[in-house]
Amino acid sequence: MKNARTVALLLALPWVVTFAAFWLFPVVYSLIVGFTDAQLLAHETHWVGWDNFRALFHDPAFVSSLKNTFLFVIVTIPITTVVSLSLAHMVNRQFKGRGLFRAGYFVPSITSMVVIALIFTNLYQRGGYVAMLASMVGFTPPQNGFLFDSHTALYAIMAMDIWMAAGYYMLIFLAGLKSIPDELYEAAELSGAGKIRQFFSITLPMLKPVALFILVINSIKSFQVFVEIFVMTSGKFDTSTAVFFVYDTGLTTKFQFGYASAAAYVLFVIIAVFSAAQFMLLRRRQPLW
Amino acid sequence: MKSKVFIALFFAFIFCFSSASAKTTITWWQFWTDPDIKPVIESMVSDFEKANPDIKVELTDLTWANGHEKIAIAFGSSTGPDIVELGSDWIAEFASNGLLKDVSSEIAPDSSQLQGWGMSTYQGKVYAQPWILGTRVLFGNRDLLNKAGYDPDWVPVKWNELMYAAKKINRLGKNYYGWGSNTAEKHRLYKKFLPFFWSNDAQIFSDDGKYCLIASDKAVYALTFYKQLNDSCGYVDTQRGIEDAFLNGKIGFILSGDWLLKRIEKEHRKINLMATLMPGQKFPGKSFLGGEFLAINAASKNADAAQKFIKYMTSPENQVKFCKANRSANPSSLKAQQDPYFKSNVILQAFIKQIALAKHPPVDPDWVYIEEAIEGAVEDALFGDGLVAQPLFEAKEKIDKIKHTE
Repeated sequence: MKNARTVALLLALPWVVTFAAFWLFPVVYSLIVGFTDAQLLAHETHWVGWDNFRALFHDPAFVSSLKNTFLFVIVTIPITTVVSLSLAHMVNRQFKGRGLFRAGYFVPSITSMVVIALIFTNLYQRGGYVAMLASMVGFTPPQNGFLFDSHTALYAIMAMDIWMAAGYYMLIFLAGLKSIPDELYEAAELSGAGKIRQFFSITLPMLKPVALFILVINSIKSFQVFVEIFVMTSGKFDTSTAVFFVYDTGLTTKFQFGYASAAAYVLFVIIAVFSAAQFMLLRRRQPLW
Repeated sequence: MKSKVFIALFFAFIFCFSSASAKTTITWWQFWTDPDIKPVIESMVSDFEKANPDIKVELTDLTWANGHEKIAIAFGSSTGPDIVELGSDWIAEFASNGLLKDVSSEIAPDSSQLQGWGMSTYQGKVYAQPWILGTRVLFGNRDLLNKAGYDPDWVPVKWNELMYAAKKINRLGKNYYGWGSNTAEKHRLYKKFLPFFWSNDAQIFSDDGKYCLIASDKAVYALTFYKQLNDSCGYVDTQRGIEDAFLNGKIGFILSGDWLLKRIEKEHRKINLMATLMPGQKFPGKSFLGGEFLAINAASKNADAAQKFIKYMTSPENQVKFCKANRSANPSSLKAQQDPYFKSNVILQAFIKQIALAKHPPVDPDWVYIEEAIEGAVEDALFGDGLVAQPLFEAKEKIDKIKHTE
C-alpha cells in the first residue's frame, strides 16, 4: 500500500514540478513584483507597497484601458450570447443543408485570431467592403476607415469578435438544446403552451447550466481581449484594453515589471469578482427569466 | 621515468588545448536579415576573420518586431552579446543603466570622420559608434505635379507652396490625395511631425534643459499646419499603406526614408519620382535623424577585439559596400558619402544633404515616455475633436512630470 502511494507520488511528480515551476511560481512571484518598482534594466528593486496600485487608478492610460475592457465585456457578452442562442435554435431545426450551416457558423472559431484580425483589418479599411456596405445602407463610413477613428474602432473590433465567437457558443448551446427531453415540449403542447411560452418556460430554464458556463467563459475571455487589439490597432484610437496595457507597460519598450504586475492583479481581482457574481446570480433557485 | 613522460605529455596537451582556445570569440547581435544584405554582412565578417585569425565573430540575427525586447532581456539577465546593434533611440536607455562600454577614448581619432555622434553621447560620454544613419526627405510624384500644372523641375521649398501643390493634386480627382498622412502608429507618427516642428524652429526642451517647450507658439503653429495638410488633402494610413498608395500613383507628396528607394527598385515600380529637402518656413527645413549604432557590452571580456571589429565595420569602404547592397542612402562616414555611388545620384544626394540638416530627439533614458506624450498629442490633435494646442499642453504637463521641468 505504502509502495503504491510512493509510485503514485512519483508518477504525479513531473506534473507537480511543472505546475509549481511554470504556473504557481510565476503567479506568486508576479504578485510580489506588483509591490515593487522592478524594471528590467534597473540594477536595484525597491519595495513600494501599494504605490503601484494607487498610481494605476490615477493613470489615465490604465483608467481608459479599464473603461474599454468593461465596454467590451458589457457589449459583446449579451450580444454574443443572444446571437449564439438564436443560431443554435435555428440550426437545431430540421431543414436541408443544416450541417452546412452548423459548420459554416463554427469555422471562424477554429480559425486563427491573427488571420481573422488581418482579414477584418482589410475589410474595415477606407473604401473596404464594410465601408461600401455602410454606404449602401445610407450610413457614412469614417473618412479614414473604421479602425482609424476613435468613435468606431473599438466597436468594429467588438463586431468582429462577436462574429468569431458566436459559432463556438452556438455549438455549446446546441449540445444543451439536444439534452432537453422532447417529453417536456410534448407535455407543454398538450397543455396548450405556444412556441414562445415553451421557449421561456422550458428551453431557457433548462439551458441555465450551459448559459452559466458560456457567460463565465466568455466573460473571462472578453476581459482578457488582446490579440485583436494588438493586430488591428496596437491600442491606438482609444482601443487599449487592460491586457494590452499590461503588455505595453511590462513587455515592450518600458519594461515596468512592477507596475505591469500590479495592473495584471487588478484585472485578476475584477475577473474573479465578476465570475463569482455570475455564479451567484445564475445559481439562484428562483427562475432567472 | 614512465610517469615523468606521462606528466610531460599531459602538460603538452594542456598547452596545445590552451593555445587552440586562445582564439577570441566575439558575439554580435544585428538586425540585417534581408537576403540582399545578409550575405554582404557575412562576407564582411569572413574578411575580418581572415585579416584577424585570432578573432572569430559569431552572428545572431534580430528582428525589428522584437529585437529591442530580446536585447533588453539579454542585458537584464547578464547574457548580452559583446557587440550589439542599437537603434539611436535606445542608446540612452542602455547607457544610463551602465550596460554599455564608454568608448569615448577609443573613438577619438574617428570622431571627425563620422556623423551622428550626438545620438550616442549621453552625459558627455560616447557609448556607441555611428554606423548607418537614416533621415526622411520629401518625395513627390512628378506626374501628378505635372498634371496639376507644375513645371517638370519644380519643387516646393516653403510650407505654403507644399500646401498649395498638395491641394491642387487633391483636386485632380476622387482617387487622388495631396499628402500621405500617417495614422496613429507607435514609434512612427511622431517622426513625421517632428520635421515640421523642427523646421519651424520649435524645441522639445530649452537649451539648458530646464523648460519643456513642446507647447510653444512655434510648436502649436507647426502642428496646426500639419493638421491642415492632414485634414485638407491627407490620405491617412499606416506607413506601409501610404507608401503603397504613393507608389500606385494616388498621392502627391509623402515624407519617407531610403527604404522607399529599395522598394521601388525591388518591386520594379514605375514612378516619376521627385525627392527634395524638407520644406520649411525658411528653406531648407529640418528633418528627423536616427540611425544604427554599434555598441560594446560593458560586461564584455573581449572589448578590444569588439572595438577592432566595430572600427572595421564602420570603415568608409565597408559602409559603401553595405549601402550599395542595402540601397541605403546615409552612411555615417563622411568619406563614404563622397563615393561616386552617392555623388552620381540626385536622389541619394538629397538624403546626404538632408542628413546635415536633420535633428535627433534628445538622448534621454526617459525618451520612451516623452515620445509617448508627444505622439499622443499629435494623435489627439489630428484625429480628436478638440483644439490643436490643448493636446500639446497636456503633453507638456506629462513631460514636466517625467523630467521635473517647468
